[in-house]
Amino acid sequence: MNFRLVFRVTGKTLMVLAVSMLLPLLVCLLYQEDPLPFLLAIAITGGVGFLLSLIRSNDHFFPREGFFAVALIWLLVGVCGALPFYFCGFFESYIDCFFESVSGFTTTGSSILTAVEPLPRGILFWRSFMHWLGGMGVLVLTIALMPGLGARTVHLMKAESPGPVVSKLVPKSSQSSKILYGIYCVMTLAQILILRIAGMPWYDSIVNSFATAGTGGFSIMNTSIAAYNNPAFEIIITVFMLFFSVNFSVYFLILCGKVRQALSSDELRFFLIVVAASSVLIAVNIYSMFGTVGDSLRHAAFQVASVISTTGFASTDFNLWPEFSRTLLVLLMFIGACAGSTGGAIKCSRVLLLIRAIRREIRQVIHPRVVNVVKLDGHVVDEKALRSTMIFFAAYMFITLGATLLVSVDNFSFGTTFTAVVTCIGNVGPGLELVGPMGNFSAFSGFSKLVLSLCMILGRLEIVPILVLFSGTAWKRS
Amino acid sequence: MNIIIVGDGKVGFALAEHLSKEAHNITVIDTNDDALRRASESLDVLCIKGNGASLSALREADAASADVVIAATSRDEINMVCCLAAKRLGAKYTIARVRNVEYASELSLLKESLGIDLVINPENATAVEISRLLRFPAAANLDTFCRGRVELISFRVREGDFVADQPLSALSHQLQELPMLLCAAEREGTDLIIPDGSFVPQVGDRLYLIGQPTGLTAFFRLLGRHTPKSRNAFLVGGGRISYYLASILDRLGVRVKIIERDEARCRVLSEALPRVTVLCGDGTDQDLLEEEDVAASDAFVSLTDRDEDNLIVGLYAIQQGIPKVVAKSNRQNYGGIAHAAGLDSVVSPKMITAGQILQVVRGMQNSKGSVMNALYKIADGHAEAMEFVANDTTRHRGVPLKDLRLKKGILVAVLVHQGQIIIPDGSSSLQAGDTVILVSRDHKILDINDIFDESFMDLGG
Repeated sequence: MNFRLVFRVTGKTLMVLAVSMLLPLLVCLLYQEDPLPFLLAIAITGGVGFLLSLIRSNDHFFPREGFFAVALIWLLVGVCGALPFYFCGFFESYIDCFFESVSGFTTTGSSILTAVEPLPRGILFWRSFMHWLGGMGVLVLTIALMPGLGARTVHLMKAESPGPVVSKLVPKSSQSSKILYGIYCVMTLAQILILRIAGMPWYDSIVNSFATAGTGGFSIMNTSIAAYNNPAFEIIITVFMLFFSVNFSVYFLILCGKVRQALSSDELRFFLIVVAASSVLIAVNIYSMFGTVGDSLRHAAFQVASVISTTGFASTDFNLWPEFSRTLLVLLMFIGACAGSTGGAIKCSRVLLLIRAIRREIRQVIHPRVVNVVKLDGHVVDEKALRSTMIFFAAYMFITLGATLLVSVDNFSFGTTFTAVVTCIGNVGPGLELVGPMGNFSAFSGFSKLVLSLCMILGRLEIVPILVLFSGTAWKRS
Repeated sequence: MNIIIVGDGKVGFALAEHLSKEAHNITVIDTNDDALRRASESLDVLCIKGNGASLSALREADAASADVVIAATSRDEINMVCCLAAKRLGAKYTIARVRNVEYASELSLLKESLGIDLVINPENATAVEISRLLRFPAAANLDTFCRGRVELISFRVREGDFVADQPLSALSHQLQELPMLLCAAEREGTDLIIPDGSFVPQVGDRLYLIGQPTGLTAFFRLLGRHTPKSRNAFLVGGGRISYYLASILDRLGVRVKIIERDEARCRVLSEALPRVTVLCGDGTDQDLLEEEDVAASDAFVSLTDRDEDNLIVGLYAIQQGIPKVVAKSNRQNYGGIAHAAGLDSVVSPKMITAGQILQVVRGMQNSKGSVMNALYKIADGHAEAMEFVANDTTRHRGVPLKDLRLKKGILVAVLVHQGQIIIPDGSSSLQAGDTVILVSRDHKILDINDIFDESFMDLGG
C-alpha cells in the first residue's frame, strides 16, 4: 500500500471540502447567523488537508490504492463534514453529528433531528449541500478540479462511481468528470429555476433542488415536502427525482445527438417500467384514502419516485398506507436507481442482470448443452462482470441481515429495525414505523447509529472499497 | 488530438501509454477483454470492445472526428481494412502496421486506394537499426539524422578509458576539435544528465555522442576501441526480423548464418535468401552453437520470440568473445539487467515502432511551425533526440546561442547550416533553413520555439 500517495490524495480532497464549506458560510453571513461553526470547520478541514497534501509521493497508483483512498476519504469526509454541526450546538453528541454528516454525503437523508425548523439556515443549507456534493462524488469533483493527480485516477473513479461497469464518456478521466459535473450543475440549476417560477421561495428552492439532485432527501421542514402542501411542487420534484436517477451517460448521448442509442438502453426501459407499474399498483391500493384518481396517482408516483431514486422525500406519511403499498416501497428500496446516476441501492442494471442470469440458469438446466450469454444493451456482458454482480448482491444481502441483527439490540420492532437498515444501506432515507417519513433516527443508541452510518457508506461506495479497508493485507506497506 | 488505436497488443499498448501521457485523447479498440481491462486500468484511455475493422466499432469510437487512426492488430489484412474503413468514415490520417513480407514490397501501389497514409513495418525498421549497429560495432545504439550525415551513438565507459575520471573541459585539444559532441550521459541511480564542461564521466556511465560519422570513428580510434564493420554475422531465430536483416546484410556483402528451430520456416528462408546459410536447430543449444563455431563470427544477433532466451544467448555470445552482440527484447525492464551484465545493444521493435509513430503525431500537431524530420527516444525513453528545420516562424533567429535562455534539460547538439555540419558553440546562431538537432529531457517539444525559456526573456525586458 502506497500510504503517502493515499494521504496526498486525501489531503487534496479535504482541501476541496474546505473550499466547498465557503458556500454555507456565505449563507450564514447573508442571514446574519453565527459564522463561527463554519470558520472553525474550514480551519480544521483545510489545515489537515493542506498538511496531508504536502506529503511528497510518487504516482504509483494501483487498484488497491484507489479503493483504499476512496474508503478512507469517505470516512474522513464524514468526520469533517460533521464539524459544523458539532460546533453549532444543536446536536447532542458527536456521533449524532457524524450520523447526520454521513447521511448527507451518502445522499441518504436519514436524520436524527427531532425538529428541523429551529436550526440556523446556514446549517440547513450545509445539510443539503452535502447531498449535492456526495451525489456525484467528492472524488469525482476533486479529479475534475485537480488534474495533477496523475493518469491513473481511473481507479478512484471506478471505486466511487456506482454501477457494475464504469463507462467513461470521453478518453480523459478528468474531462469525463467535468462533463458529468456540467450536466449535473445545469440540471440542478434548471430545477431551482422551475421551482422558483412555481412559487417556492429562493432559499427553499435551492435547498430542495440540492437534495433532489443528489437524490438525498434532507428536508428543511419536519414533514418534508408535505409541509408545502402544493401539488405543483410535488410534480416538479417527482419529475426531477426521476431525472437524477437515470444514468448520466444517457444525457451525454442525447447531447451528442445520439438520441436513439440513448433511449434504447435496457436499464432505462426497465427503470421506467418499474416506476410506472409500481405507481399504478400503489395508486389502486391507496385509492380509498384519497378519493380521487389524480390525488392517489400523484402521491403514489411521488413516493415511488422518491424511494426508487433513493431520495427519501415524502409528500404524505406513507407509513400509514396499506401493507401492500408499504411492502412494495420497501422492495423498491432494494432496487434503487440506474447505474451511473446519483441514486443508490442495488441499481436497476444489476437487478436486470440478475434476472437474466436466472433465466439463463433455467435454460441451462433444460438444455444442458446450450451455450448462452447474458446481454445488456445488445452487448455481451463479460462473465467477470456478471460474477461481481452476483457477489455484490450476496454481500449486500448479508450486510443487510447482519446489520439488522446488530441494530436489533436496541429492542425496537422488526419493521423499524429492518427498514432502518434497508433504507440506510440503500441511501434512501425514511423507512417504516418509528423511522417512517415523519419519524427520525434519534431513538437509536450510539452503537446503532455508528452501524447505520457504516451501512450508508457501504451502500454509497458499493461495498467493496470499504471491505478493502478491513482486509489485513491492504494495510501492508509497499 | 483524437487518436484511435486499433489492437491493444505490445505496440498498441506502448503507443497508448506514450500518447496518453502527451495529453491526447486516446480510444483503444480490441476484441480481447483482458487486453482492454489492462489498458483501462493502467492508462487514462477510453476502451471499446469490438472488431476494429468493422464500421460499427469505428463509429462508436467516433472515427469521423479522429485525427489519427493507428491499426496495429496482429493481422495485416485487418489493419488494411481498418484503415480503409476509418478513412471512409472521415479519419484524417491513417497508419497501418503491415508485417507480411509479400505485402511489404507491393503495398506502395495499394496504399492510396486502401486509404493508408503511412505503413509501418516494425520488423523491417528493427532490421535496419540492427544493420546500422553492425556497420558501427563500437556503438551500443545508433540513430541517424540528416539522411545519415549525422549520427547519434551511445557507448559505455570502461576501466582505463582516457575519458573517465576527468572533467570534459580537461580533455585534450585534439578531442575537442573532432566534429562531435557529448550530448547526454546515463548513470546508475540518477536522472539522465545533459553534460557541460565540468561533467566528469565515470566508469560504467553510458555516454551519448552526436556528430559526423568521421568524427565518431576518429573518437573510437583515440579510445582504442575502433572495430571494423562486421564481416560475418550469426543470427539466432528465423523470424521476420531475421529475414529483413539477412537480406540487408546480404546486400552489404556480409556472410550470414541463421539458426531456426522450425524446419518449414527454414525452407522458406533458404528459398528466399539463397546466399544465406540456414541451419535447422535450437539456437539456444550451446553445443550446436559451438559446433557451428559461433566464436569465429564477428557479430551475433539473437532474435527469437522469447526475450529471455535472447538475452541469455546474447550473454553467452559475449562470453565467447564475439565483438558485437545485439539482442532483441520488447520488455523494457530487461534492458537495465542486460546492460548491467555487459550486453549493451538491446533493440526493442516495440519502442522503435512507437518512436516512428510518435514522430508522425508530433509532426501533425505542429502544422504551422518548424518541420520535425526525426525523433528518437534514447536512454530507455528518458530523453528524446529530435531534428527540426528552422523557418520563418522560428523566433530569435540570428541571436548567438550564448545570449539565449533555453529551458532546462535542452541541448542544441548540431546545426546544419547550408549543408555544413556545425557543432555549435556560444557564438553560433539559428538561421531560417538550418537543420537543428536537439536533445531534450522534456517530452513536450513540438517546435523549435518550445525550447526557449521565454518567461525569463520577458522579465529581462
